[in-house]
Amino acid sequence: MTLSGKTAIAGIGATEFSKESGRSELQLAAEACVDAIKDAGLTPSDVDGLVTFSSDSSSEIAVARELGIPGLSFFSRVEYGGGAACGTVAHAAMAVATGQAQTVVCYRAFNERSGHRFGQAAPRSDRGVTSTGMEFSWHLPYGFATPAAWVAMYARRYMHEYGATSEDFGRVAVAMRRHAATNPKAWFHERPITLEDHQASRWVVEPLHLLDCCQESDGGVAIVVTSAERARDLPNPPALIRGAAQGAGPNQMMMFSYYETDLTTLPAMGRVGETLWRQAGLGPADVRAAILYDHFTPFVLVQLEELGFCGRGEAKDFVADGGVELDGHLPVNPNGGQLGEAYIHGMNGIAEAVRQVRGTAVNQVAGVENIIVTAGTGVPTSGLIISRF
Amino acid sequence: MEGETLHDQLMALAGELTAAGERPAGACPDPVNAAMIRNWTQALGDRGTRWAETAPPAMIQVWSMPGLNPDKPGSIADRALTLLNDEGFTGVVATNCEQTYDRYLRHGEHLRSTMRFGGATGPKRTGLGEGYFVTWYQTWYSGDERVAEMMFRVLKFRPRRRSSGSHAAKGYPLRPAVGPDTRFFWDGVRDGELRIQRCAECGRLRHPPGPMCPACQATKRDHVTASGRGTLHSYVVHHHPPVPGLDPPFVVALVELDEGVRMVGNLLGCPPEQVRIGMPVEVSFQEMDDELTLPQWRPAGSPTPSPAGTETGAGARSERGPGAETAGSEPGPEVETAGSEAETEVETALHPEAAEGLPELRVELTPTFVIATALATRDFTPVHHDTALARAQGSKDIFLNILTTMGLVQRYVLEHLPDVALEGISVRLGVPAYAGDTLTLTGRVVDDRAVEVRGAVSLGDHAVATVRLKEQP
Repeated sequence: MTLSGKTAIAGIGATEFSKESGRSELQLAAEACVDAIKDAGLTPSDVDGLVTFSSDSSSEIAVARELGIPGLSFFSRVEYGGGAACGTVAHAAMAVATGQAQTVVCYRAFNERSGHRFGQAAPRSDRGVTSTGMEFSWHLPYGFATPAAWVAMYARRYMHEYGATSEDFGRVAVAMRRHAATNPKAWFHERPITLEDHQASRWVVEPLHLLDCCQESDGGVAIVVTSAERARDLPNPPALIRGAAQGAGPNQMMMFSYYETDLTTLPAMGRVGETLWRQAGLGPADVRAAILYDHFTPFVLVQLEELGFCGRGEAKDFVADGGVELDGHLPVNPNGGQLGEAYIHGMNGIAEAVRQVRGTAVNQVAGVENIIVTAGTGVPTSGLIISRF
Repeated sequence: MEGETLHDQLMALAGELTAAGERPAGACPDPVNAAMIRNWTQALGDRGTRWAETAPPAMIQVWSMPGLNPDKPGSIADRALTLLNDEGFTGVVATNCEQTYDRYLRHGEHLRSTMRFGGATGPKRTGLGEGYFVTWYQTWYSGDERVAEMMFRVLKFRPRRRSSGSHAAKGYPLRPAVGPDTRFFWDGVRDGELRIQRCAECGRLRHPPGPMCPACQATKRDHVTASGRGTLHSYVVHHHPPVPGLDPPFVVALVELDEGVRMVGNLLGCPPEQVRIGMPVEVSFQEMDDELTLPQWRPAGSPTPSPAGTETGAGARSERGPGAETAGSEPGPEVETAGSEAETEVETALHPEAAEGLPELRVELTPTFVIATALATRDFTPVHHDTALARAQGSKDIFLNILTTMGLVQRYVLEHLPDVALEGISVRLGVPAYAGDTLTLTGRVVDDRAVEVRGAVSLGDHAVATVRLKEQP
């Protein structure tokens, strides 16, 4: 039994990406969902399932109320921050493939810049005596309180093991900003940076400069999942879901799996990659482009290694050789990624993958038959392989 | 003085006191004499054979101690200390004591002493609270000849408010949640013990701890006490965004313990640019406030800083034992509790394993030792001999007085370098040396003019000293 090829993404939608949306997160969610449903050539009454992130502030029933969806047969939430992104589509695909729902919309919408910002240090752990609260309690008291800091701990060890440098991380940021510069929807449209800009940007948490960290955004993105057969009858070319996987590694923690694992690796992503390649019957040589979650530059390097695009410790050379550029060996995040386009918790990357498969992206990579998409790293994560029908 | 701030008042008073210059201090009731020297050498464990004609230089303050005199004279700094006290700076800790010996004293010499005000600086943020450092000098004369001088510095601080309830703590804001599976760890930390969970069935060590052994699924568990040693596996230097309760930049370290598990903590006492993966580190317990102690890390072999240390970032808190904050709420030079500061930067890069390192000297701090040395230095402050009173003032027990600390530093140097003559001793004071503890003295010859000495107790460094030597004729 396999999920591969049974479902497809029929519609994508989004709000504008900004630093201050000026409206509620629920409104952003509703707007993004309506946009995606229209893109699929459907109406809200066709939708019978909703999936979002556990961390989203708008409940499925609230979104259903706003959209006028008459009823839901399936609703689900996916845990672990940005690691949920592709997981929402995986849940939707499972529901559709098993007949639990006909058409499921996945959404994520927030005012991450004008409202609650994830990058700020929480004054105290209010998570209490939960398992997650316990995890944070080994880290927060030391002022080790931000995602940038948690990723920096991995990055420092990666530099030590493989001789990677801050410039190696910086080249990722430069590439993403170059891609964003030609994407009118990107926040950093027409605002590329140089490696010198990267090096001159202030420290956030050494070894990460400001420009190693993705921006913060307000906005929403929604994805419509339905059966492959049904998608074929809808207006846009279907983006077939060939692979959909979630993954957690050994002794996994939220973003600090430092205790028994090799800090230069992301075992959760390795697991997702293996599952995706197996489900799709494909390998790294079969994808023409990749959407790699880029909240922090160092993990783009580690993902290239975990997914098999290069060997351990070789990603810095892969990137330095221009491998992730639009004309490179593996164009990564042609939309500019979260560093350049917007930080919508990885959901805007899924939309870009769909556009690449449809052939409608602004920075279209020629001949994209298959594309791999990943979700937040460091946390338990997820991934997709999307293919032309 | 209406409208004037405390700071203005204090600065004005400091100016007035400084302008007043040198004032006669209490008399030296007895001449330099063999009986007091014998008492002193016996109490401190000094062999004493060399003092047939001269007096131990570190005894200098003993000659002018007022003893049990009920009308004992105040210190030149009393007005400044009282002003601070009245304005809420009720805590006091001695931070520095520096003695300079112009020459050794001969038996039979009659001495007199003077005091002069040295200044008040602040306000400074310290681990104990906001405070002012107050400095004064005492000078001893034989006739008109100056024979010795001492600089003494205290921190008068506004103690951090004590919390009323466990969750109403107004102290350090970044607090761990503590649950049934982790309480043993935090209990250990409070007792100065770093604990690692051990499976009671298969013996596997595990950190962070949890309720079930991932190897054998047993729920029976106990713990081992870690050696406190490890190496740096990775680290970050936090600059941004602001973190409540900490001053950036600060270092967060991932430490691989000798026992094989890893832990996260701050690396203290090491400038960010000197941090290296693989460097040996050792645990250090840092009291964040009245209720929270965190296990932290320092470069192996580095001295524990002073409680009031003004290190930046995560280091700006006291690493010390209980009681120091409340001990001694009355001003005066006789109040001795843990304390120090970084204003006068004493270079303290002690490396006991270095080639020129001196052998270790262990002094068992029995109650008899603490009391006998206090009395032999004519120090009758109750916190040095009355256990009940010391505890009532918030100390764990009676503790060693500073005059003895100075004497032990002298004893240590002269035992290992019998041919040198001392020019002075500068001590940065750290955690209290309580009765029942062991004071371990280690040292290193810097060159032919200086020896560094570190006196450590179980709570950390009690004193870090530089002993200056006279030029050899």
